[in-house]
Amino acid sequence: MTAIQPQPFTDDSDSVDADTTPTNAVKGHSRIPWRFLGGRALFYLFTLWAAITINFFLPRMMKGDAVTQYLARNRNVTPEAAEALRSLLGLDTDKTLLQQYVEYLGLLLRGDLGVSLLHGLRPVTEVISQSLPWTLGLVGFATLISFAIGTIGGAIVGWRRGSKLDALIPITTFLSTIPYFWLGLLAIALFSVNLGWFPIGKAYGVGISPELSFEFIGQVIHHGTLPALTIVIASLGGWMLGMRNMMLTVLDEDYVMVAQAKGMPNNRVLWRYAARNAVLPQIQSFALSIGFIVGGTIVMEVVFSYPGLGKLLLDATNAKDYALMQGVFLVITLSVLLANVLADIAYAFLDPRTRQTED
Amino acid sequence: MRLRTSIGAIGIAAALALTGCATSGGDSGSGSGAALTIAKPDGAITTESHNPYLGDSSASKYGYAKVIFETLALVNPTGDLSTTPWLAESVEWNDDYTELTVVPRSGVTWSDGTAFTGDDIVFTFDQFLNGTLADTSGLNYEGATVDGDAITLTFGDSKYVAQARVLHTPIVPKHIWENIEDPNTDPLTAEGLAVGTGPYVLDNWSTESVTLTANPNYWGGDLAVPELHYVSYGDNAALTTALVSGEADWAQAFIPQIEASYLAADEANHFLVSPTAGAGTLFMNLQTKPFNDPALREALAWTIDRQAYVDIAREGASEAIWSVTGLSDLLENEILPEYSGQNYKVDIDKAKQILTDAGYTWQNESLIDPDGETVSFSISVPAGWSDWNTEQALLAEELSEGLGIDVNVDQPDWGGWDAARQEGTFQAIIHWLEDTGNAYGLYTSTMDTKWIVDDRAQFNFGRFDDSAVTEALNTYANTASDDERTAALEVIQTAFVDNVPAIPLGAHPLLGEYNTRNYVGFPTEDDQYASADPTQPGIVQILAKLTPAS
Repeated sequence: MTAIQPQPFTDDSDSVDADTTPTNAVKGHSRIPWRFLGGRALFYLFTLWAAITINFFLPRMMKGDAVTQYLARNRNVTPEAAEALRSLLGLDTDKTLLQQYVEYLGLLLRGDLGVSLLHGLRPVTEVISQSLPWTLGLVGFATLISFAIGTIGGAIVGWRRGSKLDALIPITTFLSTIPYFWLGLLAIALFSVNLGWFPIGKAYGVGISPELSFEFIGQVIHHGTLPALTIVIASLGGWMLGMRNMMLTVLDEDYVMVAQAKGMPNNRVLWRYAARNAVLPQIQSFALSIGFIVGGTIVMEVVFSYPGLGKLLLDATNAKDYALMQGVFLVITLSVLLANVLADIAYAFLDPRTRQTED
Repeated sequence: MRLRTSIGAIGIAAALALTGCATSGGDSGSGSGAALTIAKPDGAITTESHNPYLGDSSASKYGYAKVIFETLALVNPTGDLSTTPWLAESVEWNDDYTELTVVPRSGVTWSDGTAFTGDDIVFTFDQFLNGTLADTSGLNYEGATVDGDAITLTFGDSKYVAQARVLHTPIVPKHIWENIEDPNTDPLTAEGLAVGTGPYVLDNWSTESVTLTANPNYWGGDLAVPELHYVSYGDNAALTTALVSGEADWAQAFIPQIEASYLAADEANHFLVSPTAGAGTLFMNLQTKPFNDPALREALAWTIDRQAYVDIAREGASEAIWSVTGLSDLLENEILPEYSGQNYKVDIDKAKQILTDAGYTWQNESLIDPDGETVSFSISVPAGWSDWNTEQALLAEELSEGLGIDVNVDQPDWGGWDAARQEGTFQAIIHWLEDTGNAYGLYTSTMDTKWIVDDRAQFNFGRFDDSAVTEALNTYANTASDDERTAALEVIQTAFVDNVPAIPLGAHPLLGEYNTRNYVGFPTEDDQYASADPTQPGIVQILAKLTPAS
């Protein structure tokens, strides 16, 4: 991100009245940048179409088909029944790939994602809706916490460079280099098996149904603590290191020195001047990481036996369950695009330069 | 069956064993009232479907369909391979196994209180007839006739080699299923649809676990276990941890280093390996070099150490197959007298002699075929099938050290492997066999041309093609006379011994891990009335037999 940094300031030196100072940008804020918004909207629509198209064609290039996978999973089904299976699973069509594609787009517009072969021929929307909340709830929450702690911590560590707080950087970076499955297994061995503080895994206890009660919510929190904690530990280092490094760059800027020279309180300089500028690349990374949140963390789901989209996608891929794969990819694509839209908006608020198109 | 090994499993289990902290599971530490938790390593099963006919419904994946819906009879996949009539008081095949006569058991009620009758049996099978239910077992059912109590089900071809497929068809209640629009896909989640005759009834379904409670009116008598929980863990490592800690009681997983990681944790932990008629088998591509030469195949059969397959690759969970007929000990009575006692063993000198006689030579320790080319081949098994991946390495070592053959270990993804085996573009693979409960399984899987349709092979991957053998296989499957069957077996077995179309390594087992802390009566090594695998139909037999531990 350092490449972005110098450019506006060279502008500054070139033309004194360039609209790059915060004071002038506020004026630009009052009129709606239609061209900018229109351009972004077109860009996102195109990306959406491209992603859907790739999602459709890519899985079909893999070798093997759903029926042989089904037979391999269910050895009690005789291979002689392959034909019966094909018609049962709706694979006996002789439509061309293009016809299937057009049909798929049509169904997609109607919100019909098809049925999942891997999950008892239930609608894909039902299958995904059973897993998505857990992924969003746990991984999303943990990532937010990690982002918040990492960014705030990184800002403080960067501000107090040279102090003992610097030790936090190698510690958190070390923690994030531990392979996640190992961290998870260690956590289970220590906190679940030996100390017995937390359950071995799963989202809530055996024999309980989701309901709005304190018992159930307590169960979810109790079961979710360990996976959430390990995700935070594993991802904290990246956020903290990134923020601290940006802080160091920003703190060398003239405007920070000017602000301090004017006698502005340190707190104000830290959060309003330095951190506000340093956080921009963090926001971009956060938007990117949304994709990973929704894609789920396969390893976490496996180690903690937690329901979620990651394992769902992995199994669907192995089983050539096209409909489910497309469904999960669609959710991921949509959320990444949505996250980018949000990041664009957040950027526009935090960094007036991005609002300015060629005018 | 083959699942990923994880160092973590061993690590955790070792930690457990060291600290000796195996807590007792279930609701109470001992005696009656404790629930039994049956666990699988398949990851969260989050979509609800109780349909017993659908291989990937939650009921089939967990296996709880087996305790709700019962079958006409239970065919023991191990032990004496016997058939126990279950929902039928008697089951009897005609001579050529095209007709099955059953007498429905009296005094059985569905869990909603309705009486179970022969109508339900006829209705169940008629679903295949009128096409409402896809015939995924290839039953080829043609209709039923009722004569007093007895019902005779007729099939389009002999079911001698597919008895279990017929007998293990889940019987469903007519009064409920006649109103189900599409029995293939209906999830049975609406109120009052998941009704069976089985020992347990559905109590609670959530994305994390399924709870079933004992059926108070079960025809099979009182049940010791009041409640069953079905759960699924993320992988084998998590499942092992749960089994060791007592969170789960019963599973059917392949656990690496089971002695240290599971059995040592508690003396009440048990592990039962039940060999079946199936076997992990080395298939060679008979159409291309180097395996188009029977001499090389025979030399391999004298070189490969089956005991190493059992001890190292399968970690004891199998049984070595040494007979030249390729049949395991379970099928001993189908080994013809002339081959009884004729076994392969690891005999490098003999293997080398066979090769020398066939014109092979050695140059710099490498085997050179009669055409003057170095012998080498690839053996493929999908990556992640840890036991067979180990066997690949073992084979490569044995063949390179013993015979000077350069073996390339290939571990593709499933799709690539699957395509190669079907299209016959592989050189050697390890694969399972069709299990028919008799010798037919091995021989049809390795020599029958019926599996090759549109030039794609579902079995017989090496594409063995001998019309006399194909005919004999058909006779074996369809004949009404035992003499003809024996004569056919003679042709088949001789062809197998002479041609070595494939090399069975070790019997495919059904596995079961269980503990006797709360309940006893599980199958044991000495009393294999069923396998200890909780996903097999025989689970109802076990559940009916369990008693509280004293």
